[in-house]
Amino acid sequence: MSDERVAVAVDDIWPEDTDEDEGVVVNWFVREGASVEEGDTLCEIQVEKVSVDVLAPASGELVEVVRGEDSEFGRGDTLAWIRSE
Amino acid sequence: MAQKTQSAERELTMSRAMVEAIATEMRESEEVFVMGEDIADYGGIFDSTQGLLDEFGHERIMDVPIAETGFIGAGVGAAQSGMRPIVELMFADFFGVCMDQIYNNMAKNTYMSGGAFSVPMVLMTAVGGTYNDAAQHSQTLYGTFAHLPGMKVVVPSTAYDAKGLMHNAIRDDDPVVFMFHKRLMGIGWMPAPDGPKTGVPEDPYTIPFGEASVQREGSDVTVVTLGLHVHRALDAAETLADDGIDAEVIDLRTLKPLDTDTVLESVRKTGRLVVVDEDYRSYGVTGEIVATVAEDALADLEAVERLALPDVPIPYSRPLEDEVIPGVEDIADAVRMVQG
Amino acid sequence: MYDDMVTARYYEERLQEEYLEGKQPAFDISAGPIPGELHLAAGHEASGAGVCRHLRDVDTVTAPHRPHHVAIAKGVDLKRMTAEIFGRQTGLGKGKGGHMHLFDPDVNFACSGIIAQGCPPAVGAALASKKRNQDSVAVAFLGEGAIDQGGFFESLNLASVQELPVVFVVEDNDWAISMPKSRVTDVEDGSRRADGFDLPGVRVDHDDAVAVYEAAGEAIGRARDGNGPTLIEVQVHRRMGHFMGDAQAYRPDEDKERATERDSIERIEADLREQGVEDHEIESIREKAHDRVNEAIEWAKDQPEPDPEEAYEDVFTNSPSGVEEIEPMLEATGGDE
Repeated sequence: MSDERVAVAVDDIWPEDTDEDEGVVVNWFVREGASVEEGDTLCEIQVEKVSVDVLAPASGELVEVVRGEDSEFGRGDTLAWIRSE
Repeated sequence: MAQKTQSAERELTMSRAMVEAIATEMRESEEVFVMGEDIADYGGIFDSTQGLLDEFGHERIMDVPIAETGFIGAGVGAAQSGMRPIVELMFADFFGVCMDQIYNNMAKNTYMSGGAFSVPMVLMTAVGGTYNDAAQHSQTLYGTFAHLPGMKVVVPSTAYDAKGLMHNAIRDDDPVVFMFHKRLMGIGWMPAPDGPKTGVPEDPYTIPFGEASVQREGSDVTVVTLGLHVHRALDAAETLADDGIDAEVIDLRTLKPLDTDTVLESVRKTGRLVVVDEDYRSYGVTGEIVATVAEDALADLEAVERLALPDVPIPYSRPLEDEVIPGVEDIADAVRMVQG
Repeated sequence: MYDDMVTARYYEERLQEEYLEGKQPAFDISAGPIPGELHLAAGHEASGAGVCRHLRDVDTVTAPHRPHHVAIAKGVDLKRMTAEIFGRQTGLGKGKGGHMHLFDPDVNFACSGIIAQGCPPAVGAALASKKRNQDSVAVAFLGEGAIDQGGFFESLNLASVQELPVVFVVEDNDWAISMPKSRVTDVEDGSRRADGFDLPGVRVDHDDAVAVYEAAGEAIGRARDGNGPTLIEVQVHRRMGHFMGDAQAYRPDEDKERATERDSIERIEADLREQGVEDHEIESIREKAHDRVNEAIEWAKDQPEPDPEEAYEDVFTNSPSGVEEIEPMLEATGGDE
């Protein structure tokens, strides 16, 4: 059992052809403490009117939501942490 | 009273719950398809078909010309031929260009044929204001559709209900008008209140039509409402609780059929009724509920208030729209009025 | 024409700035000084300017949900129109209508948010003109997505059989929100719709204001002379999304590029230079237009918001009881004071 924390990041899924460096979290679909499977939809973000789903990078427990609904973030920011199994 | 089972691990927006139900039914049956404007590549202006194109392609997620008489009538024909079309009328306000097909064909053919014809179609349509889209794009028109015989009329207020009601709507052999409030869908550009996003089981389930849901139990006043105003009523109930007033909030969920039993039972308990609607006041939902209670529970009724849009077209400007659409404070005030 | 076009383009650039105020980074349609939908017409200017150049105040124009360029070319009061878009008390509709519902009786302009809805009223205005032996005409503007609507066909037929002084101007920007023309009709040239109703149909293949002006001149002249309706389709471009907030994910990049590379405003500037108009004159027209727009926007933002009580006014022209309130005679009703 390794308790590795995996960051839920957005840099890779940032919409192309936008100059916008800020996004906003529109919806969270799982709460802190929930167990998620890799590939589950965790939340939906919006960057310059484009909505993108953020998928779980690993299976495990969603231990911390860093950016809650309606919060703004930049390209390099971490939205949440998953403790992988 | 429906059991509220919550999936502990996953919550969905109302639009995603609707899409999940549609996708599941489409996988089950080749007879189910979707027709409408901007439902394919765009995913529905209010996300009601988001992502369906990827799985089912343009053949079954059909963008159609801006010709509602044509494609809604075509939906009726396809349904009568045994298919199960889901047809989207982008805004309920646009019903004017196609109402003949809706209420002279879709709604009446079963009856006129003495039951020989069935019209198993879903007419899905966006309703509601609160975002300053003015008189031609903001109406709820619940009463308009529910007034006309032959259509089942569904108005979900949560993701859980939306999925179960959509499954039932698609499987039902009669025409169902599925009226979703834009403000509840969880669209990025139109933030929803807290409330419509709920846990949603992954497996399919149906919610029967004609079963209201008691969203909050209370002993002092019965608040009957639907759609967006379920959430506004719940907010008002929280405020009222601080003042020691215990409001019961009933979400009708469907207008046709109408669950009068749940409403009457509640009024017999509380003796006080407030009906809240986002549709016009005259000849509408509020009057219907009050009349029903007056017919069957007059002796139990001590006080009644109704809140709805005054009889004016919906104005554009923010202060004007805020004036005419009932808000949380308006609901709380109405409850205090009947509480005396 | 050039003046109308640069005014419209700059006006919408400024509106866009105002509209996005309070809508970034999270685009919330109900936030900011201009809430609700906003449909901008950048790339459509040639059509409004080329057609309306022939019109007088008494001529009727109906426009759809993308109305600003037409309204400006028709001479709608820019200050009061702007105040309406900002939802202010002194707006054209006292803040009740908003940007899709602009009404200016002084220049007989109206627009609406339902597709093809302006066609029958334009036919009606033409009918009134004919019945009264006037030489005013009516023009209905609509998009190419609207010409699949029944109301459009009914209007063509009625105008044709009654020989009414009306011109239908279809602005073909290739897109009905997310639906390309090719997916909703097999008839590439929309002006051919006229054939079925026995009226002339003309297509202007590029958004060249001068070409539009010429085609419209002929059609409006025909209408004024009592020779019936015409259908004109003009190729325009949608330089932006259907409405502000439309991410246009459905639209191929090359199509977006195509829409912005050919600009009717640059085209007409080149025409003007060819005719010997000096750069400083062009610049001066542009500056005047900018000043006028900025003035209108500043004025509008200074206007008061409507009083909430005003929501209940203007439902009817007369009082609900009708034209005149007559006290009933007491003996007739048996009532007492």
